Amino acid sequence: MGLSFLAPLFLAGLAALAIPVIVHLTHRERKEAISFPSLMFLSKIPYRTHRRQRIRYWLLFLIRSLAIVLLVTAFARPLLDDGGRAATMFAAAREVVVLLDHSHSMGYGDRWNRAVDAARDVVDALGPEDRATLVLFAEGATAMTLPTADPVALRAAIDAAAVGPDRTRYGPALLLAKEILERSDRPRGEVVLISDFQRAGWDARQAVRLPESAAVAAIDVSTGGAENLAVTGVATARVRRDGRQQLTVTANLANLGSSARENVPVSLEIEGQPQQVTANLAPGTSVKVEFAPVVLPGRPLRAVIRAGDDPLPGDNSYHFVATPIAALRVLIIEPSSASRDHSLYLRRVLGIGTEPGFDVEVRRVTRLAESDLTDRNVIILNDAPFPGGVLGPRLQDAVAAGAGLLVVLGRRSPPGAWSPEGMRLLPAAFSDALQRSTSGGGTIGYLDFDHPVLSVFREPRSGDFSAARFFRYRRLAARDSAQVLARFDDGAVALVERSLGSGLISVWASDVENFWNDLPLQPVFLPFIHRLVAHVGGYVEPAAAFRVGDVVELSQKTALGDDILAPGTELLVESPAGGNELLRPQEDSRYLKLAEPGFYEIRNMAAENGQSFTAAANLDPSESDLSPVDPAVIVAAVSVTSSAEAAPAEGVVLSSEDRERRQSLWWFLLLAAGLMLISETLLSNRLPQVRMSS
Amino acid sequence: MKPYGFLDPQVLARIDNLELLARTVVDGFINGLHRSPYLGLSIDFAEHRPYMPGDDIRRIDWRVFGRTDRFYVKEFEADTNANFLVILDVSRSMDYASGGITKLDYARYLAACLSYFSRQQRDRVGLATIDNDIIEMVPPSAKHLEIVLHTIERVRPGGRGGLEPPLHKVAEAIKRRSIVALISDLYDEPQAIVRAASYLKNKGNDVLVFHVLDPAEIEFPFEGAVHFEDLESGERIPVIPERQREQYLQLMNAHLAETSRLLVENRIDYFRFETRQPLDHALFSYLSRREKLSRVR
Repeated sequence: MGLSFLAPLFLAGLAALAIPVIVHLTHRERKEAISFPSLMFLSKIPYRTHRRQRIRYWLLFLIRSLAIVLLVTAFARPLLDDGGRAATMFAAAREVVVLLDHSHSMGYGDRWNRAVDAARDVVDALGPEDRATLVLFAEGATAMTLPTADPVALRAAIDAAAVGPDRTRYGPALLLAKEILERSDRPRGEVVLISDFQRAGWDARQAVRLPESAAVAAIDVSTGGAENLAVTGVATARVRRDGRQQLTVTANLANLGSSARENVPVSLEIEGQPQQVTANLAPGTSVKVEFAPVVLPGRPLRAVIRAGDDPLPGDNSYHFVATPIAALRVLIIEPSSASRDHSLYLRRVLGIGTEPGFDVEVRRVTRLAESDLTDRNVIILNDAPFPGGVLGPRLQDAVAAGAGLLVVLGRRSPPGAWSPEGMRLLPAAFSDALQRSTSGGGTIGYLDFDHPVLSVFREPRSGDFSAARFFRYRRLAARDSAQVLARFDDGAVALVERSLGSGLISVWASDVENFWNDLPLQPVFLPFIHRLVAHVGGYVEPAAAFRVGDVVELSQKTALGDDILAPGTELLVESPAGGNELLRPQEDSRYLKLAEPGFYEIRNMAAENGQSFTAAANLDPSESDLSPVDPAVIVAAVSVTSSAEAAPAEGVVLSSEDRERRQSLWWFLLLAAGLMLISETLLSNRLPQVRMSS
Repeated sequence: MKPYGFLDPQVLARIDNLELLARTVVDGFINGLHRSPYLGLSIDFAEHRPYMPGDDIRRIDWRVFGRTDRFYVKEFEADTNANFLVILDVSRSMDYASGGITKLDYARYLAACLSYFSRQQRDRVGLATIDNDIIEMVPPSAKHLEIVLHTIERVRPGGRGGLEPPLHKVAEAIKRRSIVALISDLYDEPQAIVRAASYLKNKGNDVLVFHVLDPAEIEFPFEGAVHFEDLESGERIPVIPERQREQYLQLMNAHLAETSRLLVENRIDYFRFETRQPLDHALFSYLSRREKLSRVR
């Protein structure tokens, strides 16, 4: 084993060794002589040559010389030539990426313990030249260590890992493993995937192709035949009775195991009123369990559904918030010449709404008073002209303050009936009616399914607008600031909206009294009007529950409730585990990530009455499905070579730079030189003191 | 208070004019002493001048009155008591200074001050500069002070030193009993020094030896292995001062002690000076010696 240098020119610095020699040979004769009056005395003194060059402090001299030698050698970047042994060892060196699944399903039984043991075994099997990275993954993937050959650091990272509440996704973990392997200088790569291999977590579209030299080893910690019962969701139905809302809760239960579950106790805990029923579930089926109605007070209630018991208890409970929904106050303004049943369909449709409910009042435009316009969520001009006089500006003010205005343009709304002020408010200018009766009537040709009003009709058989026939409708010319929600089959605008202040103004180009069209006779009419009026009225449905990992926007109008947060207020968030987080006012909208299942309490610090709001978070239902995917499928999808064909172990020649970098002898030499210099400082400070004291 | 602070040799070295230097030293010294410097009162006729009212009538020269019928008063000057000869060693070894002024400069100032002071005492002053021979000789005279001072001012370091030959010649040259002040660094064997001084002593002269040394010659404060070069011979020898200091000091002290002892035994006054000492010391020593001589006479 020889020693060579990467930068041998630095060895010229060894000439610096002369420095301590010069320093030490303080007795060396100086070239210049001292003139002296007479040498008659000095010449009588015997002179001993050997004394003049004696080094006084051998230890100091040696330390100084050694420090310089170490420094120079370190800068010359030495490397040991081990006859190619290092190259051979390095050829067999692996870059191991341990992908450890810590999704919620890993908490099933002893899966996590076995996964941790498997990860430790991988670390224990690392060779001296191997390097490994621990990656924890669930919905996302995080490298818990840098690539390291230190087994202690890897074991510490494994010990610190724990099962989380997130669902499984293999894609991000494999992508991270690929990046690590691509950055590695090791000739061989290996990915060790330790998981329970849930089918729900595997998406072949997310498969990545690992480097060719990489092998994939799958360690399945599932035992097969997993039994799991899960509460996958709740449905709530509200009924208004005697002015109070009654809530009926229906829980969705799923038996994701292979054996039937009989007499499973299912409980609902809401406001200290427990209810319990039993359910029977065949293997691989789901049932709905309905509980007795609960009268809701005027505030949100926390509720939890619990069902049965199994090795994965996290999904056996479901948290949600039962929020009373206030009815929207709707004012229908009819034209003065309207018949008695002019708003019949509207009134009937809005009268049966529950989520939200609608308190409907009807006024003729000629009998409209200012007080009628106050405290309204929605005002519908049902084929009525824009109110004149002082009522017009009052209506405009009400919209700007947050109320919604729905304008229905039927046969009693010729353009001339509208004042210019009223016309300017609308999102579209309208003109005379277009006749489509001769061609059998027009239909709705375009719907913006991305809009909240129409999104529920996106899926097939979820609402058919095509059956409705439109024989007449008014031509609308949408303004630039307006958004078109629907068009007729000839391209004419059917539904358009714009915002005004905090409110919305929508215009429907035909009537809703079954005269110009037969839409009121179609089944889709009811949900369409419900959603349209609720949308115009600014209604946001309070979410009963969120999923872990969801990000909730804490704006003024959120799914948590209406008008819950004013801009610029401080919010204190209490997590289910008891942690507190203060969200400082920085902008109108803030965001809260729900990281664990349970109830999040969000307190408005500015509210005097301690106003707070509750958000419930639950596990992703897909994580409850423990049915596995064959690990070989994943291995085959990401591997270019099979795991048995490891990367070539021969023919790898390490360059001198690589060997030097791997040995890093310079670092130790530099450290030793530093220690030498410190010792020299201490010793040299001490020696003169010793001499003086002596 | 530094009693002789203003007489520091290094301060005096800034005065170019030797007479001024000597006057500065001597007058300052006398004024500080508050004693009359006029010790000998023998009078020599100097000149006549017309009688002025108030003059002592006993000083009227009646013989001149008899010849000229005018009153003249005889002017006298104090007569010299003795010759005062300074023998100044200007050998190359005197041209040494470890920090302040050289021994030669110190010796020059000392010679000038002694000469000036002696002239104030109405002595006749003379000067001999020597190395291993007489370089220059100014015979003692009442009117030679300026020449002496001028000669001292022109002194330059000479060659190798040696006391016996030049002192022997000086002793032969002095015809009248004199006070002889030898100013030298005395780099010679003590017996040789005494022999040389004895030439003068045996001629009836009062001999004073002013031994001028640099502090470095006495303390030998050198460090580090170096070569020492003899100023006179140019010889070089390697020296480790730390190792040889002790022996050097022993030899030097033995030399000083032996020289002093032998000179005193031969009734030759011996004074040792370091160039860092004020010149007043030298004057005071000389003065004390002159007092003693005066009382003897």
